[in-house]
Amino acid sequence: MSDEVLGTSNRREIKRGWIFAGILVAWFGLSKIFSGKYTYELAVPQNTTFTNFVGEIAKSIRGNRTDGAAFKYFFNPIRQFIDGFVTLIRETISVPTTGSSIPLIGWFGVIALIGFIVFAIANARTAILAVTLTFACGALGLWSHSMDTLAMTIAAVFLSLVIGIPVGIWAGRSDFALRLVTPILDLAQILPTLVYLAPLALFFLIGPASATIATMVYSIPIAIRLTAFGIRGVAKGPVEASISMGSTGGQTLTKVQLPIAKKTIVLGVNQTVMAALSFVVIAALIGAPGLGKPVIEALIIRNVGEGFVAGFAVVFLAIMLDRSTTAAVVKQNTFVPPSPAQQKRRKIALFATGGAAIVSVFLSRQLAWAAYFPEQINFSEPIAHAADSAVKWVTSTFSFFTEGLIKFVTVGILNPLEALLSNSPWFLTVAAIALISLLVGGFRSAIVTLVVLFLIVGSGLWFDTMITLAQTLVATLLTMVIGVSIGIWVGRSQRAERFIRPIMDAGQVLPAFVYLIPMLGFFGPARFTAIATGIVYSIPVVVKIVGQGIRDVPVTMIEAAVSSGSTTRQLITKVQLPAAKNSLLLATNQGLIFVLAVVVIGGFVGAGGLGYLVILGSSKPDLQGKGLVAGFAILLLGIMIDRMAQFAVRRNSAPRH
Amino acid sequence: MVRKQGKGFKFAVLTAVAGLALTACGGAGVDDAASTTETGAAEACGSYSIAMHAWVGYTASAQVVTEVAKAAGCTIEQVTLEEAGVTYDAMEAGTIDVVIEDWGGGRWQDWVDRGAVVEVGDNGNVGLIGMYVPAWMAEEYPDITDSANLNKYADLFVTDESKGKGAWYEGPPGYTTIGEKMVEANGLNFTIISTGSEQALIDVFTKAAADKTPALGYFYEPQNFLAKVALARVNFPANDWTDTAEASGLTDYPSSPLIKLASKKLMDANDPFTRIIKNFKWTNDDQNGVAADIEGGMTPEEAAKKWIAANQATADGWVK
Repeated sequence: MSDEVLGTSNRREIKRGWIFAGILVAWFGLSKIFSGKYTYELAVPQNTTFTNFVGEIAKSIRGNRTDGAAFKYFFNPIRQFIDGFVTLIRETISVPTTGSSIPLIGWFGVIALIGFIVFAIANARTAILAVTLTFACGALGLWSHSMDTLAMTIAAVFLSLVIGIPVGIWAGRSDFALRLVTPILDLAQILPTLVYLAPLALFFLIGPASATIATMVYSIPIAIRLTAFGIRGVAKGPVEASISMGSTGGQTLTKVQLPIAKKTIVLGVNQTVMAALSFVVIAALIGAPGLGKPVIEALIIRNVGEGFVAGFAVVFLAIMLDRSTTAAVVKQNTFVPPSPAQQKRRKIALFATGGAAIVSVFLSRQLAWAAYFPEQINFSEPIAHAADSAVKWVTSTFSFFTEGLIKFVTVGILNPLEALLSNSPWFLTVAAIALISLLVGGFRSAIVTLVVLFLIVGSGLWFDTMITLAQTLVATLLTMVIGVSIGIWVGRSQRAERFIRPIMDAGQVLPAFVYLIPMLGFFGPARFTAIATGIVYSIPVVVKIVGQGIRDVPVTMIEAAVSSGSTTRQLITKVQLPAAKNSLLLATNQGLIFVLAVVVIGGFVGAGGLGYLVILGSSKPDLQGKGLVAGFAILLLGIMIDRMAQFAVRRNSAPRH
Repeated sequence: MVRKQGKGFKFAVLTAVAGLALTACGGAGVDDAASTTETGAAEACGSYSIAMHAWVGYTASAQVVTEVAKAAGCTIEQVTLEEAGVTYDAMEAGTIDVVIEDWGGGRWQDWVDRGAVVEVGDNGNVGLIGMYVPAWMAEEYPDITDSANLNKYADLFVTDESKGKGAWYEGPPGYTTIGEKMVEANGLNFTIISTGSEQALIDVFTKAAADKTPALGYFYEPQNFLAKVALARVNFPANDWTDTAEASGLTDYPSSPLIKLASKKLMDANDPFTRIIKNFKWTNDDQNGVAADIEGGMTPEEAAKKWIAANQATADGWVK
């Protein structure tokens, strides 16, 4: 169709490639000459005036927490309210109520209740699955931890929806509101989770309240986005018809927009639930009860088996909640009305299951076997043992491979890149990154990059930021190499898609902490451990986006290429990949953001950089300010990466001349 | 869409929910059975949280305290948290009541001043942190245990991670560490590498001992591992810790009694758990024994109960 357009853009690409190479060569050469000068390296225990200042502020906030007006009238009431709410739910299903040895409902009652609720909102098959999975959590020996996680998820999701849906409706109906919330939502989405735990704990203290709020920061944007999207997706026709018939705004909303958008909103509930669940594990760092506890514990004492067992419980809960809410979405979509006989049958079934649930709850309060999850049913040990030996076997059998791989990545790629970024004078690195940003994303992208980099320099943590950036870039590079290959495969073959899909889904719900544990076993305390974890975490999203992009390439284009005699390789490299360029850019962007979020967690396993400072700051009072500033620097890094890619996408989609 | 399910749906769900609410509000029969068996128990004890820090010695102490308290009728929740700041904050927030072993010499002062944390005294264990090399190195290079000679051997310790200098495996972020200051004050040609966990340190030394590879790393006693793999402590110039500001630029870890901390709430309650925390005291050997059982495959609970059974009189003494 557009040989000529492709031709000019190719020439442009080649020219840009040469400039890029030129920048790298100049950067590399100058960095060799000035190596080690003006690097702004700051020893770990050292503070700058600025980090000291932030530390003093944090300290004064601490001192004010009981008497300060902001705390007395704002933060503390919020904390007490949320704490109370969480306690209420926990006492219903997971922790003993005061004066009793069991929660309000024993395990048997909880399972029956879950079965009934899922049956009521979805169908019998899903209900059976939900009951089985919940029972399996108990069979892993983690009943009360699992219920704590469920309670935390319910609390966070409920509060997220109470805030998210109204705001989403507002943003769906008003352009002004949408413009107001979009930047905040964007920011929340690129905010690495590790970053806001410490500041939240400073204001809401360590405990369930902070954990719930942290989870909400993560899940509210999703609720808002999908609600607004749903409302905006309603066609103009029905809305105009409703207004022309004299409906008030409220009537139009409740009778027209909301019912039509219901499907998208329920999908939003599903996504909110999944986001909240995936966060509750990390929230254990600031005192969230639940499955995060055994996971973090296993990470700290590197107990691979225990980590896997707890990870399984998280995945079981995830599947349970995902399938139940998805089945509810599907049900919203059935437009064939059930016959009266079907309705009657369902009514009877609901009464029967409801009655059974009531009896079970009653039993679970009266009889010991229904109150306490039976200790005899516990498969945690064989599973932990199997996971442990599997990892040990892999470690010892493939050590020649893993050691070679570590050596190759560390010495061959990471060390030179880290030296280039962090060992050059800071102004040289700033200039080089800004030029690359100019090349990739254009003038505005370069300006954003410059501002962000100068802020980082000003924060005093330039050197550590470059260490983190180097790891992020290497991990993203490897992610893209692997992810794009799988993505092409998935995009070209239906069978591959069906095969890969469940693995990718599991990868996305499994908290990064869970596989950080065996990674530490495989690779030891090293930067590579963080990089490998980042790769595993971000591959699913890259595969998904690239696969979709390849699938979306117009059939006509492919047929034209095939009929003109292209080989498969030519087809991929000359047609499908260039046509899916925007997907590739988007995948790179998401890959970078995902990798960054996990690479900083690598601070736990010897990766150094900003993540290490964040973690140090939370336990060493004299470094608290530095930890907070490091969190801010991570955020800046995220913004810079995200903006650069966004500008590149926009520029790529803009018409060319 | 709502209509298709009819009113029957809503009615059925509402009936069920109402029924559930009614059922759940009745008295719990299981408690009656439980309370009759325990009517002999003397004094009421509240419900408390104990911080769990991530080294096996701590687990041993905390688990023994937990078991003794449970036997005395207290409800104890164990909460895993990083050391120091995070934990003191949690104590201030009321989510943690006890730290059974704190190594950090006074870093809690801010919280004590605000009345959030109370220093209860030492727990009988004496902690000694230090920098260690595998024993084979001390045999092969006898003068390596003197910090003044470390630079001479720095080349041996170089890895891909250590930027051309020697690798100095530091304790995890949450631990009490002064590695950077030691390197700086002694002008050492080493790069600090944070290990992230006790287990990672153990891995480093296990590998170094087994393969006879060089390694310099952070370790500490009481720790049962020292009985299994021989390590040699590197001696740094002695340090006067009476003036922390002066000492902070220097040199070696002091041996120090490990401290118990408690929340104000617990100290005010003055119930059996308060007394257990005040009275708890045991030796490094006690702790190592329980830790060895845990590492040998017992659950912390089993290991703690075993120790209590063997030392019933001591454990009973804490409750009084």
